[in-house]
Amino acid sequence: MSEVVITGVGVVSPFGIGLAPFFAGLRAGGCAVGPIRHFDASALPVQVAGEVPLPFRTCAPCALPLMQLCQTRLGIILDERSQAALYQADHAGALADRKVVFATLAALEAWRDAGCGEAERRAPSYLGLGLELGLLDDLTDLLDAQGGGPLDFDRDRGEPLVRLRAPVDLGASVVRRLLGLQAAAVVNVSACAAGALAIADAAALIRRGHAQVVLCGGADSMVNPLGLGGMARLGAPSPRAAADACRPFDRRRDGLVIGEGAALFVLEAAERAAARGARVYARVLGWGSTQDGYRVTAPRPDGSQAARAMQQALRRAGVSPDGDAVGYINAHGTGTPLNDPAEAHAIAAVFGDRTPELPVSSIKGAVGHLMAAAGALELAACLLAFTDDLLPGTAHHREPDPDCPIRVLGPGPQPARIEVALSNSFGFGGQNACLAIGRPRP
Amino acid sequence: MSPLARAAIHGWALRTPLGSEPEVLLARLLAGERAASPCPMYDASSYPCSLAAAIPVPPLASRRRKFLPRMGLYAVEVGVAALAQARLRVPQLATLAPERLGLFFGYGGLRAPWDELMVAMAEQRSDLEASWERGLRHLHPFFMLQQLSNNAHALCAEEVLARGEGVTLSGPNAGAQALASATAALAAGAVDAALCVAYDSLLAPEVLIEQGLRGALTAARTVEELRAPYDPEAAGAVPGEAAAALVLVREDWPMAPLAYVRAADGADAGAGGQQGPAGRTLARLAQLVLTGPVSVVDGAAQAVSAADRAELAALESAEILTADARLTATLGSLGQVGAAAPLVQAIALATALRAGQLPPVAGLAAGRAAGAVRLATGAMATAARAALALSAGARGFGGAVGIEIEGASHG
Repeated sequence: MSEVVITGVGVVSPFGIGLAPFFAGLRAGGCAVGPIRHFDASALPVQVAGEVPLPFRTCAPCALPLMQLCQTRLGIILDERSQAALYQADHAGALADRKVVFATLAALEAWRDAGCGEAERRAPSYLGLGLELGLLDDLTDLLDAQGGGPLDFDRDRGEPLVRLRAPVDLGASVVRRLLGLQAAAVVNVSACAAGALAIADAAALIRRGHAQVVLCGGADSMVNPLGLGGMARLGAPSPRAAADACRPFDRRRDGLVIGEGAALFVLEAAERAAARGARVYARVLGWGSTQDGYRVTAPRPDGSQAARAMQQALRRAGVSPDGDAVGYINAHGTGTPLNDPAEAHAIAAVFGDRTPELPVSSIKGAVGHLMAAAGALELAACLLAFTDDLLPGTAHHREPDPDCPIRVLGPGPQPARIEVALSNSFGFGGQNACLAIGRPRP
Repeated sequence: MSPLARAAIHGWALRTPLGSEPEVLLARLLAGERAASPCPMYDASSYPCSLAAAIPVPPLASRRRKFLPRMGLYAVEVGVAALAQARLRVPQLATLAPERLGLFFGYGGLRAPWDELMVAMAEQRSDLEASWERGLRHLHPFFMLQQLSNNAHALCAEEVLARGEGVTLSGPNAGAQALASATAALAAGAVDAALCVAYDSLLAPEVLIEQGLRGALTAARTVEELRAPYDPEAAGAVPGEAAAALVLVREDWPMAPLAYVRAADGADAGAGGQQGPAGRTLARLAQLVLTGPVSVVDGAAQAVSAADRAELAALESAEILTADARLTATLGSLGQVGAAAPLVQAIALATALRAGQLPPVAGLAAGRAAGAVRLATGAMATAARAALALSAGARGFGGAVGIEIEGASHG
């Protein structure tokens, strides 16, 4: 059984492009939620989001600005093969999808950060990806062209008039080509647990000896009219168009804020990482995966299956909930009326008497809910506990809720030296995931 | 020996264009039927591909209808049916704790929900001004639930009370990946039983247009014009659709299973285009799921002559076939069923082996084989106890399933 370590991290978040601005935002206790800027959302019921400050429009050809962004923000100059792959993806329309752009940037940063090269190109990739809902621009083109008539295609160009729906594995496909990965990609679409489950799958692959290096994580964007409109009709987002629209575990909470972004990791067998002298951010100690089997529209109120996911992760990690090893929980903490109490009950059920002293926070108030990428970005947030001895705060959490009887950290980060952190992801539809990570060995 | 764990199948169910019972499907495969017809879902006569193979029966009446599109309803149906069958066969499954039952879903990807979208989009302007008032407000409150990537998984979990490990995978290879994931979870002891469900439909208008223009789907206008897979003049597959489910347990459970299964998935190195996998990729995957040469192969049946030839050549050179091996093509009869293929093929093959009958490559005239591997051009008896199924998806993805029934000489 191989020990699994994280040797590379790439992040695209509402705080900016790269891990550095993400960590800087968390260190400052900042909030990146604000008015939507990349299209006119003024007529929508949802007008704020955790929007990635991308300096170009993805609906236009964008391989060149994307390469410039890599160079200026990440210090990465693409080699000839990667440039060709990027132009090819752009030509095929793949970069019109924001989450594909996010996955691309995060993958490049993680790969470079881990010092991966030719020897690592046999790595499988496990990505948690959201599904394509960014159809609106394309559909308006279609309707303009055809007056709402039946679908047609351009025989001269040999292609449909519009890209009607991107393949779900488009992001994984672009990343594979860009990095020249030899192995297959697995696309996890387990809703808001997808990113965490993709990382869990990757860790299992290494621990069971089926792989030595895996690129994994999540990327998603629903910050588009159809995504926001659909969520608004469902009633999930906060009705308030304010930066503090999402207030996890706060008595006044009234819904989530939609975010977007990506976080990708290079996971590696510990002995391999040690042999090549790689930097280790954390050890992936355990993971848990359960299902509520309850309702598609609501979590189990008692949080019993969410609790079991945490217990599984602890068991795999060989860590007792009774001792003081676990020093922090990054909660799913959506800020919705139903999720937060269920999660609080789950945490209390697992940690019993330790619950009042165990620090818990949610970064969704600061960056929004990244949907399929949420678990991945939140795992990246947990790394701050090992790199900086800081626990991320809970933006906009000011009035504790008696229905959430746990110790929720306030808006600012808290200094602490911890050994083990848990990261919870509880997907819509009742898919629960928990990751346990530990401080790197000295 | 195969490096992969083998799981025992104790329950199965499917919905295909040629039937919803394994025995019915086998009978129609043995009769050489092909499900292709002019697309019955909408007028596709002007599209580059206009033939299709649709599931002829509607989903069962369900209170889930408001949450699930059509294919998702089939997925839940087969999941429930397969588990019910398994619970009848294996008493331990009836009393298994929900926490030890895992659920592994794979599907090809959501298709554009045109009926819903057109309501919201018809009055939109290109600049998206007042997009809410112009239509988005007309979206059904459950629109997002219908588009939820794991909605069928979630409803199936609720229906069968599965609370163990769970995963929803998507993409052209998702069925093989879900099956491989389920067998790995069983082998690792993460669950005691796994319900694996795969579903997909290639019948969406955009698929007929895009894949038709690329030559992956047939341009034939009538079934009579249609060339079978492995015909040297084959020029595209028929788009099909299916849902299928398997109930798996570890092979050391004491009762005799319906069959045993191993599954592997993979892809061409660095592939990203629309083409199917290279023959050598399929052969490599085949070697992963087999423990010795087999005499029955259910081919990927891409019905593109170059791809078919490459597949046959790779099978020959990989030395995984016995001298008397025969190749059949379930997907030649059903049409390409995307991510559902590995599970559908597993059920069809196992049923055929159990019946001692091998179906033909439907529509393939004798003497029109594309390579040296012998193709089944008529129904024939077989004493084989083990078989191989291959499947192919876009972007170089492939899947392999090894099937064995009791009495297999290896494994």
